[in-house]
Amino acid sequence: MKHAYIDRYSDMDSLIHRLDPRVKVISFFIFILFVLFTRPTSFRAFALYGVLIAILVLLSKIDLEFILKRSLVIIPFVLAVAIFIPFFKKGEIAGGYSFGTLKLTVTYDGLTIFWNCFVKAYLSILCMILLMASTKFSDLIKAFERLKLPRLITMILSFMYRYIFVVQDELMKMRQAKEARSVGGSSWFHARALANMIGNLFIKSYERAESVYFSMCSRGFNGKARTIDDFQLKGLDLFFFLAMIVLLTSIRLIGN
Amino acid sequence: MAQKAIEIKGLNYSYPDGTKALSNVSLDVFGEESLGIIGPNGAGKSTLLLHLNGILRGNSYIKIFGMEVKDENLPQIRSKVGLVFQDPENQLFMPTVFDDVAFGPINMGLSKDEVKASVSEALKKVDMPDFTKRMSYHLSFGEKKRISIATVLSMKPKILVLDEPSSNLDPKHRRELINFLKELKLTKVIATHDLELVLETCSRVIVLDKGRLIAMGNTLDIFRDRPLLEAHNLEVPYSLSSIQ
Repeated sequence: MKHAYIDRYSDMDSLIHRLDPRVKVISFFIFILFVLFTRPTSFRAFALYGVLIAILVLLSKIDLEFILKRSLVIIPFVLAVAIFIPFFKKGEIAGGYSFGTLKLTVTYDGLTIFWNCFVKAYLSILCMILLMASTKFSDLIKAFERLKLPRLITMILSFMYRYIFVVQDELMKMRQAKEARSVGGSSWFHARALANMIGNLFIKSYERAESVYFSMCSRGFNGKARTIDDFQLKGLDLFFFLAMIVLLTSIRLIGN
Repeated sequence: MAQKAIEIKGLNYSYPDGTKALSNVSLDVFGEESLGIIGPNGAGKSTLLLHLNGILRGNSYIKIFGMEVKDENLPQIRSKVGLVFQDPENQLFMPTVFDDVAFGPINMGLSKDEVKASVSEALKKVDMPDFTKRMSYHLSFGEKKRISIATVLSMKPKILVLDEPSSNLDPKHRRELINFLKELKLTKVIATHDLELVLETCSRVIVLDKGRLIAMGNTLDIFRDRPLLEAHNLEVPYSLSSIQ
């Protein structure tokens, strides 16, 4: 089975793609920090941050539709966290509704907080999507490793990236085997079969993990999965980093 | 006689649940020799292979080129014995082909340039020099099998140990594998059900069944012994059956 690449736009060639992954990780992280520490009412600053990330996206030549679609995933989370704030925050009332004895009011302060949550989350997710889409996942992991993220975490990420599709394939094959023999039967019966499949998947994965470990030991694994350090900072990377810092700082000054 | 590459004396091994997997196996493999291990399913072939580089430790005495398999020797043993597992998904555990083939050499403490050199040499040997940047998951099965072999060749082993190397390969890739194995000047130990492959690549064969060493001898002598083979769920290879 062929699955879509998580990082299917990472093979393209553009200014953003050519940047050293470490520089990208740090610059984008700083971008998010700047966004987070912006006053909720400096709309101009948010607009400019938006323009900045839009320029970066254009530079990366990645399909806009892909980025916009991906960015929608953040909306349910923002709504889940912030949707009730406008109704509960005390302050100047912007509007109200009455349902018999029940009165619902919306305050300006509440709306500001909601807006603040939304715009910050959205700008940050755009930034993260651009980082993920323009960097090979394996390079991203290596960048984290060189930036001293604990080795255990980078190893887990790397195995996840390697084996998530393998597990998915196994599940699919089991499902096909089940479908091939499913003729009628109650939904309760099917639910039970699904539970068995999940259990089976756990055992299979456990056994696979053991075999992978053996194969790692066979090749001299001693607790550290290491890769070769072949990142090299170029002039372009330093230029990009400095440009980002200058732009972000000026946006912050203009916005305030 | 050539130097002993592998020396096993009275190997016993039981699984953690107490099932006996190997009993009293004694075996010598000589340098540059190719040994086939055949036997029915569950005979203990894979278990025996896992002993050759100390992944499993039964109650016995195993020497690799005169060096005893024990904790302090493990790093050297493992760089001498290249073990390729049956399922390439388990053999290729790093995200990219390069990182996977480089895994062994890096662990051996080679320098960056040496690692790169041994990776490209190993990939050249399996005839896949342009695959370094590829993601392991997105390779075809035949490609995965070949890269699996490259992952141990990059460690420049003295003994190549293969578990079911031809399983699930299409005839063309299987043929390429056989030709490749014939040309490779290394000590080889191959466990498989593919008797034709053994016939072409191995000079000597052992038959394992229920963890016991049943027979050992020249490939042709063993493969012509129909009663022996049939008693252990094996058969005379088709290419030999017409001769008798």
